[in-house]
Amino acid sequence: MAVKTGDVLDSVAAIAKGLSVTLRELLSPTVTEDYPDAPPKFQERYRGLHVLRRDEQGMEKCVACFLCAAACPSHCIYIEAAENTAENRISGGERYAKVYNIDYNRCIFCGYCVEACPTDAITHGHGFELASYNTAALVYRKEQLLEPPKALTQAAD
Amino acid sequence: MLYNEPSPLEVRLLTRRFGLPNSASIETYLATEGYVAFRKALQMSPEQIIEEVKISNLRGRGGAGFPTGLKWSFVPRQSPKPKFVVVNADEGEPGTCKDRVLMENDPHQLLEGMLIAGLAVGAHTGYIYIRGEYRYLIEIMDRAIEEAYQHGYLGKNILGSGFDFDVYTHTGAGSYECGEESALLESLEGKRGIPRIRPPFPAVVGAFQCPTVLNNVETFCAIPAIIRDGGAAFAALGTPKNGGTRLFAISGHVNRPGVYELPMGFNLLRMIHEVAGGIRNGKKLKAVIPGGTSCPVLKAEECDIPMDFDSLARAKSMLGSGGVIVMDEDTCMVKVALRIMKFYAHESCGWCVPCREGTLWLKKLLTRFHEGQGRRSEIDLIGGLARNMLGRTFCPLGDAAAMPTISLVEKFYEEFEAHLDGKPCPYEIKTAVRV
Amino acid sequence: MADRVKLQIDGKTVEAPAGALLINVARQAGIDIPAFCYYDGLALQAACRMCLVEVEKAPKLLAACTLPVTDGMVVRTETAQVREARKAMLEFLLTNHPLDCPVCDKGGECELQDAVFRYGAGESRFTEEKLHVPEAQWSPVVYYDAPRCILCYRCVRICDEGLGVRALGVVNRGATTEIAPNRGDHLECDECGMCIDICPVGALTSGIYRYKTRPWEMKHVGTICTHCGDGCKTTLGVYGGQIIRGNNRDRSGINDEFLCIKGRYAFDFVHHPDRLRTPLVRRNGQLVETSWAEALDLVARKFSEVKARGRKFGVIGSNRTTNEENYVLQTFVRQGLGTNNLDHHRTGDVVSLVAALAGRQGALAASADLYQRKAALIVAADLAQQHPLLAFLLRANWRHHQARVYVVTPGPVREDSYAVRSVRAPSGEELAAVESLRDALAAEPELVILFGDSVKGERVRRLVEFGDSLGISVQYVCLLDYSNSRGAADMGVLPDLLPGYAPVEASGAPPGLTLPEMLDAPDLDVLWVIGANPLARRALTSKEAFVVVQDLFLTETAARADVILPAASAYEKTGTVTNTCGEVQRLRKAVEIPGTKSDLEIFGLLARRMGLPFGPWRPEEVWEEIRANVSGYNVPSALLAAGGAFPTFPASGLHSVRPKPELIRSAGDTLFTSGTLGRYCKTLSSVREAPGTLYRS
Repeated sequence: MAVKTGDVLDSVAAIAKGLSVTLRELLSPTVTEDYPDAPPKFQERYRGLHVLRRDEQGMEKCVACFLCAAACPSHCIYIEAAENTAENRISGGERYAKVYNIDYNRCIFCGYCVEACPTDAITHGHGFELASYNTAALVYRKEQLLEPPKALTQAAD
Repeated sequence: MLYNEPSPLEVRLLTRRFGLPNSASIETYLATEGYVAFRKALQMSPEQIIEEVKISNLRGRGGAGFPTGLKWSFVPRQSPKPKFVVVNADEGEPGTCKDRVLMENDPHQLLEGMLIAGLAVGAHTGYIYIRGEYRYLIEIMDRAIEEAYQHGYLGKNILGSGFDFDVYTHTGAGSYECGEESALLESLEGKRGIPRIRPPFPAVVGAFQCPTVLNNVETFCAIPAIIRDGGAAFAALGTPKNGGTRLFAISGHVNRPGVYELPMGFNLLRMIHEVAGGIRNGKKLKAVIPGGTSCPVLKAEECDIPMDFDSLARAKSMLGSGGVIVMDEDTCMVKVALRIMKFYAHESCGWCVPCREGTLWLKKLLTRFHEGQGRRSEIDLIGGLARNMLGRTFCPLGDAAAMPTISLVEKFYEEFEAHLDGKPCPYEIKTAVRV
Repeated sequence: MADRVKLQIDGKTVEAPAGALLINVARQAGIDIPAFCYYDGLALQAACRMCLVEVEKAPKLLAACTLPVTDGMVVRTETAQVREARKAMLEFLLTNHPLDCPVCDKGGECELQDAVFRYGAGESRFTEEKLHVPEAQWSPVVYYDAPRCILCYRCVRICDEGLGVRALGVVNRGATTEIAPNRGDHLECDECGMCIDICPVGALTSGIYRYKTRPWEMKHVGTICTHCGDGCKTTLGVYGGQIIRGNNRDRSGINDEFLCIKGRYAFDFVHHPDRLRTPLVRRNGQLVETSWAEALDLVARKFSEVKARGRKFGVIGSNRTTNEENYVLQTFVRQGLGTNNLDHHRTGDVVSLVAALAGRQGALAASADLYQRKAALIVAADLAQQHPLLAFLLRANWRHHQARVYVVTPGPVREDSYAVRSVRAPSGEELAAVESLRDALAAEPELVILFGDSVKGERVRRLVEFGDSLGISVQYVCLLDYSNSRGAADMGVLPDLLPGYAPVEASGAPPGLTLPEMLDAPDLDVLWVIGANPLARRALTSKEAFVVVQDLFLTETAARADVILPAASAYEKTGTVTNTCGEVQRLRKAVEIPGTKSDLEIFGLLARRMGLPFGPWRPEEVWEEIRANVSGYNVPSALLAAGGAFPTFPASGLHSVRPKPELIRSAGDTLFTSGTLGRYCKTLSSVREAPGTLYRS
């Protein structure tokens, strides 16, 4: 049974074609992430753990308007408001959130709260490592959500 | 005293005593047919008096030009309530200063007019509401009232006729708004000077909720002449439906600014050039506001016009209160609009939304505009905002602010354009060079 | 007046009385014309220019709020021109209005916000600097943020016209116009907060509710104010288990939207830190905390023991507990403890009035009658202070219907300002002064007589005789102090009368001890006090008496107690209460304070422990029993449950009563006091007017 030369050539060509893909991919940058050995990369608009922002003066942007709580389809945001005083100024507006809790047992990361926020106080960060053996630990308090004051971060740098 | 030399073109009826020595005294007044009309009116029935005023075609001199005889006939004479005669001497319209010379030079003429009005409607009390800035006039009026009491022209049983009449002066507190008749009444009653909801009109529910005849100083001053010489004679001085003479206060860039008594229907160009001596420094006429700042502006080419209520209405302006403001070619019309709006923003009483907020917005907008910070779209915004105010405010003050603004934007659009894109006011430069 | 006209609004033919205002006619026809300054019942303003409509043949848009309808009028309210005009007005309004909705308390229930949403003036062409004025605090309960103010003058009008207080005015002019207190920088007024409620925007805000939450976050519970006897509906806003607001913006209830400082702010006692939350028992002379089971066992044991020995009980009921609780209490006492020694603090002689009227139907005025009847006579009461709602209704009657009001009081009262006749008469001698008004009163077509506590006993009978002799229709209101004072009497919390004013002799037993007799009895074995503070004024004679107190706070009486059971307040339970005019209304539970129990529940637990053959009770079942058994209380339950108020006409078959005028004494509460409970309302004492005085000019 004679091997047809044409068949051999076809096979070689196919192998070469296949290997060329392998070879090309071998030389191109890797896509696979090494999480948890290396930090994962996120798209800009990834909706991760919320971050409560501060303004240029380092004051909290949140004015406790409750619109995020109203927009939330899973009712996971709880706020208690309080009035800013001259001695104790927390936010730029007349009032601030004394208590700001997000229950991550319920949050579905839909981003409606971010849409609703009139002061751009609540944003999605890129945090995602939320797993816990204790559901109570999934109710995040304001202190956990708030971005650190700039002055402090700079000092740390 | 007189502020200007009279013009030979004047028809001096209301101002006939101006210039006489001691013209404000009752002696002078009595020596020149004073209180003759009142004595005549005492022999007439109220209906006859009102009829005579109707025949005279006298129209309110305050600005709206409502026929006076008709207004008086609305007063319910059979009402058991007391009736009042109120004189609107709150002359606040920028450009107008006729009432002041009338009261200063001939206060008894006003008192006589009030007395006749009292006879016509059965009132026994009169109030003269004088603007706060005319404090010195209150003294003159009070002196005249005192004299009238002494000579028996005021008080109980006047001239043995059984007719009682008392007159009081009342000072305003510096609000332009109180020149509006219902706001004036509120102020007279001691309340905040805010216009009332109308109807009912003051003729039916006026001062202290009672029927009230409320007219301008000049209107009352015309009454003695009408009764004395007959309504027909008065009517004949003017044009049809616009009886008598009118005091025009001509101000601005003319050689002889002043108050001139001219027959109704007198041509505006003649007024400027022949009566007031033409434009100052040989400049060209640019625009005229014919009746105080509430009236839409007339361009120079529109000024060949008889000065009566109807002719000006046809030209989409108003005769207003007779304050003729003449502007020469070097006048910046944006600045004119700003100046007018500053006045109305300052004087808006704050009662209703469009006037309160609209005047302030326009003032700020025009200020920015005049500084060269305007945007093209805002030229239409200025006119648009004024139109949003027009006819929608509680009282005519909003209209008064809107009308000149609308006309200035319409007629001098290119001047607004000249202020765009950070350009300095072209007229300010001219002035600077000239000085 | 009876003339009716036909007009067309938006193509719809509408019939209305001639002279009615177009805005009202349209609203009744279901066509909403927006307005900020127009407010039903207050003077006309025509200032906001939102209600401009197109009327055929009129050269320009007309304000519907001041336009009387005429026959054949053709009105269009939603044309392009009208919408454009409204949009323009909103644009003007927003020029100097700060867009701080996210931090504004009114955000979410703001009329301006709603209007902007509807007419779409959301984009602003205004690029200039806005006027700004700092916020001002006028009183502990009223704040004013001038930039937010749209100058509708509702606040000024409600204060001037509605209350007759005249605390607010207008200062400056033009765009800098502001509302300001007539006292310069602070209010001296009733602190009723009506101005805050009536404000269409967030210019006037409440010092109590400020910045606490947003309207949509709250649960709204419509219940009856627990303070005075007028029975106003107050809608409590509950957030996070706390009551943070009281108002009545839905205009339900007999008070429409009226509330005084007590109804609006004096709910704070509920969360007072001194509130009792655990039962206390006395051990070695000290009150110590204990469990409910232990405390109840102790009380039940003691009650059973004293009952078994046939010894003397004294039971004092409350002016604030529900009808159900009062009814059960008298059942418990009469059948369970076997005594008639049951009484309460009587704040007005409703017993004598019921006796004098002898079951005559319609002779008791409902609160609505105060707004409708042509004339009223106030005897011995500072109505504006003691009965703010009745004063408000009477004043509204005078404003809207020119009602003629006569006043006979020991000192000056606010009603003097519009009364046709005011007579001063010392307390107890009012009837002679009333007699002097005979001719004037007889000339009235009808009359409502309101009388205070100094008209009692025999004097009530004489007053009714006087009313009968006038020959006109006369109705009466016996003024009582607290939210269920009337109910306590109706439910037979009295030593000599059963529910519905039936004499106890009918049941064969002799009348029991009255309240002072109990306190003075040297051999009293048990004193059981439910929601009252009798020892604040009178000492307990019997040193050996075992004292049981059910209350909210450690009052003077509670301090003497051997067992204190922490009770739930009226805002923490359901049931019904009857106001001073005899109208029965339903309470709704707004919050729960852990550790407390309602008095009804306590009665049930005690009954079970004592082995009595009744209880536990549910308020709904007791209510049905009251309807079936108590004269005059057979009112429709369903409508009551829906939040209605129904007049009760108690008493038939009442033969005679022994008037006990010495027992009748009003606490003389002002607008800023509310008996013992008032001490625990911080807001009441925080205002500068507190505690206030009656009969002050």
